[in-house]
Amino acid sequence: MPHASGYFRTTYGQDTRLVDTRTQRVAAGAFICALIALPWLANPFVLDLANQTLLAVVGAVALMLLTGFAGQISLGHAGLMAAGAFCTGILSKELGASIWLTLPASAATGALLGVIFGLPSLRLRGLYLAVSTLALHFIVIYLGHEYETRRGFSTGIVIDPPRVFGWELVDGRAWYVVFLIAAGGTVLIALNWLRSRTGRAWRALHGREAVAEALGIHVPLYKLLAFVASSTLTAMLGCLFAYYRGFVSGEAFSLFLSIQYVAMVIIGGMGSIAGAVMGAVFVTLFPYGIEWLVGLVSEALPEMRGLQNAVFAINYAAFGLVMILFLVFEPQGLAGIWRRVQAYFLMWPFKQKPLSGGGK
Amino acid sequence: MTRHALKPLVGATLAAISLCSGGFASAQDAYLIGVSGAMTGSAAATYAPVVESMRAYIDHINSKGGINGRQVKLVISDNQGEASKAAADAKKLLTQDKVLMLVNASLSSTYAPMVAEAKRANVPVFYAGAVCPKETYPPADPLQFCSTAFGAQYDSQMALATVKEMAKEPVRIGFSAMAIPLSRGEIDYAEGLSKTMGMTPVDKQIVPPPTPDYTPFATKLKDANPNWVYSWAPWVTQVRTLESLRRLGWNGRYIAYAHLNAEDELARLKDNEFYVFGTNAFFQDNLPIQAELRAVMHRAKLNYPITQLSEGYIAGLVLEAALKGAGWPTTAAKVQASMSNLKVDTKGLRGGPIEWTRDNHFRTKQHYRVYKWDTSKGAITRVKDWTAVEVK
Amino acid sequence: MQLVVNIAVLASIYALISCGYVLIYRVSRVLSLAHGELMMLGAYGLVTTASLFAAQPGVAVAAAGLLAAATGALVYWVLMRRMTGEAVLAAVLATIALGILLRGAMVLIWSAQVQHPARMLGFDNPVVALPGGARLSTISLLLVGMNALVYLALWWFLTRTRYGIAMRAAGQNPRLAAQRGINLHAVYALAWGIAVFTGGLTGILIACDAGLDATMATIGLKAFPAALVGGLDSLVGALCGAVIVATAEVLLIHYVDPLLSDVVPFLVLTAMLIVRPWGLFGSREELDRV
Repeated sequence: MPHASGYFRTTYGQDTRLVDTRTQRVAAGAFICALIALPWLANPFVLDLANQTLLAVVGAVALMLLTGFAGQISLGHAGLMAAGAFCTGILSKELGASIWLTLPASAATGALLGVIFGLPSLRLRGLYLAVSTLALHFIVIYLGHEYETRRGFSTGIVIDPPRVFGWELVDGRAWYVVFLIAAGGTVLIALNWLRSRTGRAWRALHGREAVAEALGIHVPLYKLLAFVASSTLTAMLGCLFAYYRGFVSGEAFSLFLSIQYVAMVIIGGMGSIAGAVMGAVFVTLFPYGIEWLVGLVSEALPEMRGLQNAVFAINYAAFGLVMILFLVFEPQGLAGIWRRVQAYFLMWPFKQKPLSGGGK
Repeated sequence: MTRHALKPLVGATLAAISLCSGGFASAQDAYLIGVSGAMTGSAAATYAPVVESMRAYIDHINSKGGINGRQVKLVISDNQGEASKAAADAKKLLTQDKVLMLVNASLSSTYAPMVAEAKRANVPVFYAGAVCPKETYPPADPLQFCSTAFGAQYDSQMALATVKEMAKEPVRIGFSAMAIPLSRGEIDYAEGLSKTMGMTPVDKQIVPPPTPDYTPFATKLKDANPNWVYSWAPWVTQVRTLESLRRLGWNGRYIAYAHLNAEDELARLKDNEFYVFGTNAFFQDNLPIQAELRAVMHRAKLNYPITQLSEGYIAGLVLEAALKGAGWPTTAAKVQASMSNLKVDTKGLRGGPIEWTRDNHFRTKQHYRVYKWDTSKGAITRVKDWTAVEVK
Repeated sequence: MQLVVNIAVLASIYALISCGYVLIYRVSRVLSLAHGELMMLGAYGLVTTASLFAAQPGVAVAAAGLLAAATGALVYWVLMRRMTGEAVLAAVLATIALGILLRGAMVLIWSAQVQHPARMLGFDNPVVALPGGARLSTISLLLVGMNALVYLALWWFLTRTRYGIAMRAAGQNPRLAAQRGINLHAVYALAWGIAVFTGGLTGILIACDAGLDATMATIGLKAFPAALVGGLDSLVGALCGAVIVATAEVLLIHYVDPLLSDVVPFLVLTAMLIVRPWGLFGSREELDRV
């Protein structure tokens, strides 16, 4: 999409640039500054929310690569996270392994599971693929639960905080730095993949497999690659999550978590990394927003105090409702809204939409 | 697409910053207590009534002028039985609301992250209606306290002692658990214990939580031909195993833990050989305190059966006593000190006082009663009155 | 003998639930993952009608059944009408979202307490002894019978009646069917109505047999592998799938390890997906992509 009527790209280099106008450079700079400044401004609760959000960003981007770009549905995201977390828990409990061992080990587990999760995709598509990943989710959780119970960790496997270069990672701010690097790294890696041959192959797969094959793309290879890439990232996320929470338990990785990640991808907008980030922010903060809202209402109107008893059910129901509303009214998600708002200001005072097909 | 990747984040961050700088005024003239419970989710049936009745009791106290002349404010959040939500809740309650105590009424998987937060802030954690973790048994963790009726290991000791006392013939005992770590752990413990008490464990069924039909499990249990079956699990598993066994024509004796709804359920099942043991008095006793409880809950307009509300009421009594001892103005450390040396009169709701000492945060004596439905009388009868089990 | 009866009961539960999955999928190519929640809603419907018509249990059950059918049609009319024909994932997610919404709403309305609609209606549930020493409860027997009845009725409906044939036509080729004057929306709404009715019926029967609480929704998910093993667009398949999954489950509980019963349906499903992804009786089809 031409950014304004007078700006056109003339070289391939410009086309793959991440940040190209001055406004964007300024905006990106300001944004990065804001992210760095956040831990000094925020109280620990907000910091925890920020940390959760950053973790969710990693997961949402990983799922976006798989679902939004390569077009493979997965409902086993929580299972993959669980695999990384259990790998971390088991290694640090049984061997006293440090994070330098558990993180690569989780990544390796993730890659291996990626191959296993991905193999059905060679035969299955769409719905059936989603179901096979769902089945694998249950199997991973079952194995994790068995380990927990057999070893007598009935309230979950407790993990000591990791030591990194002699520092013990306990403080929210320290974690914030780690997660910021992780989330930023994931976003950059994803963006770079997508600008490369691999990313183009994934998009081609998404478009139509037969055509992709005719273009000389090795379909099975790139499908598996998408699964491996996504699940490696997800398992590493599981590892970090386990360390951050200080414990691992099968209950933490319910089907609902998978659905939340899928919701991030949907609400954010399919096929957009920025969408994944926005979706992650939205879904993570949404329940706290509702709680806050209900708190306001019941404080303002004392006769509505009964609402407080119901806030939790309302929260749950509202999440479903928001997902439905996005699916029905805004299938392009937050990224779609963002694009439209942008287009509105670009075209102002004219109202017509920019020509479609101009590349997103 | 890629070019716009970063922009929306600016907005999000700014929103986040404005949210945190907005600030939340905390009432410094009241006792602030943080509660994190499973108010929704699959475990809500067990934990939501506890939190609601505790709130009702605290409202009642507040309407009578509060504790030490101060109001008590409960800040309640829902963790849906999920560990990460519990962690986030704990963090919020501790850092934003600056609560004096955390109350946990949720699944045991939420304990570890919550305790980790509490330790960092040095604030006591009080388990109300949630399973007492080992850390509250002597030697107790200085920050963890528990008033919940049931207690792992002591329950099985009591159950098996009862079985041994009542059985005239050699005991062939079967076990039933739910496939959650806690229940499985307890049943494994009971299985080991039964051997040392001269019983023959014949079979152990572990049932996954959402099960449409318990009959296949019960069939296997019945085929092992036990004359007693012991179950320590959430009520569904206990009772549906029993119902399925009965349908299969098994007529041995069944003993299980008396969860809060036991009184209503005994009357529903009308099973002459179904024994329940528990630590809360049944409402058929019609004690004065129970009448008061009824009135309090009626005023709060809670739509739960009254029997389900005693656990939260007891937690309220404990909370009241702990805060009374902590004085005003107070700190988390003072509350913790008060809790480490506490004796709460349960006025008959339990078989004795809840007593906490420096290294026992469970109770010094656990009192059990055994009940069953008596078909000849058409009423619930006490098989065994308060029996104390020493907690060491 | 008892084992055979156990298998029959469990298979009936799975079959009754999965015929809802199959019906909706066959007609509108949408997989409804809210089926467990809709089933639970049907059972809660009985709780409500039971408190209204406590004296006439027959009226209460019939009203609950009608309510379930109406809910199904309403779900289609309000939500799924917009999602049918969209990408597979979007439609599936819409049903998941609907499920979440319903769960929240049900806790809001009926609280999370365990309810016993059978007791509210004054049913008791005596044990029936079968020849061969097997025993089961009356409602379990009713469940098996109802399952047979529902499948027979569906077979008759789909092959012998005008609307049933229209429904199959819509499932096979919606565009052609529409051109032949079949009102697609009405057909889809009818399919949803019937599917939710059968689901609600299962929910009602399970609730009468064992009580009703918030965990019922997950039972819907457990029956789901049965539908897939048999083939998502075949009723015969759903029946066979239910029998296979139930048999595997009951035998494993009895002879191997009860703990496996939780994962076995999914193991059977995985095996099936590897060998014959479209199921035993399903039609091999070009499946959509995202």
